[in-house]
Parts: sequence; C-alpha cells; structure tokens
Amino acid sequence: MIKRLSQSPASVHGLTEPFALSQQMISKHIAYLVRARIVKKTKLGRESVVTLRPEAIKAVSDWALDYRRFWEESFDKLDAVLTEMKKKEVKDGRTRDKSFGKSCDHQDL
Amino acid sequence: MAERATNLLENLVITRIFDAPRELVWKAWTDPKLVMQWWGPTGFTSPSCEIDLRVGGRYLFCMRAPDGQEFWSGGEYTEIAAPEKIVAVLFYANKNGKVEPADGNDVEVRDVVTFEEIGSGQTKLTFKRSHWDEGEDTGSNQIFDKLAVFVAELAAKVK
Repeated sequence: MIKRLSQSPASVHGLTEPFALSQQMISKHIAYLVRARIVKKTKLGRESVVTLRPEAIKAVSDWALDYRRFWEESFDKLDAVLTEMKKKEVKDGRTRDKSFGKSCDHQDL
Repeated sequence: MAERATNLLENLVITRIFDAPRELVWKAWTDPKLVMQWWGPTGFTSPSCEIDLRVGGRYLFCMRAPDGQEFWSGGEYTEIAAPEKIVAVLFYANKNGKVEPADGNDVEVRDVVTFEEIGSGQTKLTFKRSHWDEGEDTGSNQIFDKLAVFVAELAAKVK
C-alpha cells in the first residue's frame, strides 16, 4: 500500500481495488497507518483521500537500514563474547590438563 | 528508497561466521547471562534476559539505550534443535512479558536461527526474519506497512 501511495495519493476505494481485500480490511489498515502518522486522510467530498507523509517513509527506510545495523552490531558484540568464552575454555582446559599431570604451556593460544 | 526498505525488511537474512565451535555459539545464544553481554547495538546494554528454552517456552530480552530508554523483545519458541536451529514467533513485549498489540491485528513475525559447522572450528550463523499474515493472502506490501507502523511507533517512543 505504501508502494502504491508513493506513486500518488489515492481514494480509499482506489486503494481497495489492487489488493483483493474487503474495503473493511483496507479501512482498518488505513486507520492503522493514520494513527502511526505514516499517511494522512483528508475528506474530499464524499471520498476520503489518503496521502503518504514523505517524512514517514524516510523514517521507515532509515530504520530498515538501522534494523540490519542492529543485528550486525549485536553480532560484533557476540563475536567478542565468543572470543572471551574460547579463552576461558582454553584456560579451564589447561587447568584440567594440569590436574592430570600434563603441561600445556607450549600451547599456542 | 521505499523499495529498498521493503526488500530489506521482507528478506532480512543476516549471516555471520564466528571463529568458535558451534556448541559455544549455541551457548552464547541461549544462556541468558551470555546474551546480556551482547544483545543490542553498540552503546546499548542488556540489563535483563530470560530464556525458557523449550518448545512453547518464551524469551524476554531487554536492551537499554545510552539515554536509559529500555526496549523489550519477546518470542515463543516453536522449534528447538540443539545445537543447530531455533525458531521463534515474536510478540510485542514490555517488562512484564507479552502485550497485545494496540489494534489486536498483529502480523506474525518469525525468526529462524541456524548454526552450521563449517570446519576449522568455525560456525556460520544465519538469522532469518520473516513476516506474514495468517489467513488471508494480504500481500507483502501490507505486511511491510504493518512493520512500518511498528517502526513509527518505535520512533515516536524514542522522541
């Protein structure tokens, strides 16, 4: 729907057609978008015209990039956690080995 | 611009190769104490994390922004195959757990995480997020719209 509205404003009726959905469903969906201030709805005679708020689509698009960044940055941190875990495991392994009388001092970390 | 956003959101697949054995990556992903060490982007901390790792069990993560704002994420596990795969369906959450979306008309968001051994002690993690509406075939644009709403709400909260 946002894609459709990015081309031009449309009436509620006009928005119902391409989506093979009931007008009720579409209206509900539009209400959702109005509430979120992604679109605005204006009365034009008997029809309601729905217009996309350009600032909203930019926010969404920026956020989409942030969305990926969110995971990438979390994964960077996860990577650091794993490095610590590995170090700890090697250290624990050493302690265990020593208790069995083995020396791992030559082991390269 | 919108097109790119749509593609990003509908096919969000992120892979990362970690230089660690699979069991370790699995542990870092499923042990709350460890998750709290990495959950959230740069500058964020994670003050709380609960994980009930079983099918039907839930998780509740929290991350705190540098300005103190807290964001809660929750999901219910629908498939767990240790140490290879986790599938969860997300829900809106606050510090008390699951909350119903304001309009009661939620879209299902599902995360599939797979852990793959790729040799040399390395693990390939694939994170896949998908959105779909149950029931009617409402088309991907609507799904994106709903996500956009969620984003807008989130953005409004941040302001």
